[in-house]
Parts: sequence; structure tokens; C-alpha cells
Amino acid sequence: MSLKNMTITPGWEKYMTKEYVDLVERGPYGKQKKVSEMGSFKEVLEEHPMCAGCAMTLFIRLTMVGLPNPEHTVLIGTAGCGRLALTQTSIPFIYGNYGDTNAVASGLKRGLEVRFKDQTKDVVVMAGDGGLADIGFSAVMHSWFRKEKFTTIMLDNEVYGNTGGQESGMTERGALLKMAPKGKLFDKMDMIGLAQTSGVAYIARLTPTNPTRVASVIRKAVMIAREVGPTFIQAYTSCNIEYAIPTPKVLDDAREIESKRYGFMEIISDEAKAYLESIDTSKKAKK
Amino acid sequence: MYLVAHIDQAICSETACRLCTQYCPEANTILYDNTAKTAFVAVDRCKGCEICVGICDDLAKHHAIKMIMITDLKETFELSKEGFRPESWTGQHP
Repeated sequence: MSLKNMTITPGWEKYMTKEYVDLVERGPYGKQKKVSEMGSFKEVLEEHPMCAGCAMTLFIRLTMVGLPNPEHTVLIGTAGCGRLALTQTSIPFIYGNYGDTNAVASGLKRGLEVRFKDQTKDVVVMAGDGGLADIGFSAVMHSWFRKEKFTTIMLDNEVYGNTGGQESGMTERGALLKMAPKGKLFDKMDMIGLAQTSGVAYIARLTPTNPTRVASVIRKAVMIAREVGPTFIQAYTSCNIEYAIPTPKVLDDAREIESKRYGFMEIISDEAKAYLESIDTSKKAKK
Repeated sequence: MYLVAHIDQAICSETACRLCTQYCPEANTILYDNTAKTAFVAVDRCKGCEICVGICDDLAKHHAIKMIMITDLKETFELSKEGFRPESWTGQHP
């Protein structure tokens, strides 16, 4: 998709739905919106069926604000909670089969580079901890080894929330869940460490407690993925249903987990750092 | 019946924190009127999670948001009816 394709042919506005007209006229396209402007522009995310007070929804909403070019982005996801909101964005979404998200993204990114030589298309994989660390693990690792240029975002709710609360590789040791009544017997997988070993250019770990930071991390990750190499973001997005967190306490829980074991962390390769600096200097020169 | 967030605009317009608009998990639910400098709620989108109440009370310390019964609202702002039209916001929000 591009902004040209989205723009309504003059005279046809009255036949389009209100939401679409609002999106084209008052949406975030063509200008980078800031988190502080939220509430005064039409967001690319629409109404969706995710649970009330879900931290994952908040993270997805902030991600959509952080994307540098939503009109030139393609999202890839798989079964899991996240896709309930991701399918309700005005960004093309590909529903990968379980396990192949990063393989689909690799092919798509290469294909888009051939098809649109004059445009920059961003490919972003957004899936849960089950989709990426368990079932899609081999495709994720191999896309990193091959240095495929796209962003992988893990919505880590530490459980299979959609199917009744089974433990995943990313669940903490000892966590009691409906379908793990004795508590998990193994440690949480160290995806950050694996990403580092496989040479991912930009790695970040965060929680949605700071909206501005979420948007800026997403922006950095997508920009680096354009030029340098694969990027990975691991975000703690609690499941308030399976972990029985009352919705008013969702962000308190996120802050608590953040201070205990999920603190903000950024690992940038030298090449990626140099690229970010070059963007900054060219921006300043324009001003 | 169910509860929805309701913002006291007299308190909200005295501040410019906009935190509730950033922490609400639902898109375009807490809207911000730049002329009247106040946030207000599109009740048809509010799922009643109360995150904004916690943000306003604990983080911003303005105590401007309360949960109220949808039936107790005399007038409501519904995004599906009005559409997202900031230019038509006159500063008077239910």
C-alpha cells in the first residue's frame, strides 16, 4: 500500500465509510506523529475485540504511533492474541501459519525490494511468545542468521493466552497457570541472549510503562532494519486474564515486573549506532 | 449496565498532561480537544478497564477521571456517530 493508493478519488468521499475518510484526512500519514499528540489524530488502529485493559493492546497501539511509515509497512503475525488487534489496523496484515512468520517475512522483504525499487517498504513481524519463541523458533533464528532486514517484535505475555493458559518457553520458572498446575519446571528462554549470539543489529527489551519510549524504540528498530540488519524487540505485555491481574492494576504490575526482572535494555551494534547518528546529523542539516 | 470512564473537564482543562490519552489501551477512545485543552471519552469505545483512573490518580495526581454508570450520563459522545472530526469540537463535551 502507499498513500497514493489510499487517497480517495475526488467526488467519492460520500460513498466511503466515515472511518476511512477520517483516516485519510486526519490520520498519521506523511507526517511523523508524536505520542504526545495521541487523542488528536485518527489512529491506524481501529476498534478490536481484545480484552479490556490488555497491556498488549496498549503496546500495539503505541507501536502503530511509532512506525515511521505506516503507509509503507506490512505486518506479519500468526495465531495468538496480538492478531486480534493487528488485523484491525489499516496496515496490510499477513496471517502466517504457526511457525513460519519470519520465513514469510524474509521472502516478502526480498520480494518487495525487487518489486518497489524506488520505495522503502518496512516489514514488521509481530507475534506472541508462543508464536516466536516456541513454534516459530527455528524460522526466527534462521532469519537472524541470514541477516534478513526486518523487525521482529515479540509480544511476551508469558503464556498461551488464547488457548486457556498453557506454559510457553517464555513463562517464568515456577509460574502457576490453569494448564500448568504444578508450576513451570524450566527457566524462561533467554531470547535476548540468543539474538545477541546470532548478531541482531538492534535488540531492545521493554514494558509499556513509558509510551514515548515504546514509540522511539519501534522507530529506531524499523529504521535500523531498513539499512543495517535484523532487529528484535521483546516487550512484556501481561495477560491480565491468565495471570488474574485486575485491569486497574495492569500498569502497576508492568512497573513491578519492570523493576524486578524486565528493565529497559537496548543492545545496538556499532554499525547500527553509526547509522542512527547519520540519520540524526542529516535531520539537523535539513533544519 | 456497565461503567465507563468520565473526565471532569473543569479539572482536566487546567492541566496539560495528556497522560490518559497515551495510556488508554483502546485507540481514539480518550480524545483530546486542543482548543478547550481537555480530554474527553468516546463512550462507545470505552471498555471500562479503569487504567486511565489509575493514571490520573497516581501518576498525574489530578483525580479528574471517575468511572460512572453509562445510564447516568445525560449526553454521550460516540465516535461511531460523530466520526473523528476535531474541527467540529466546540469545547463542550458531555
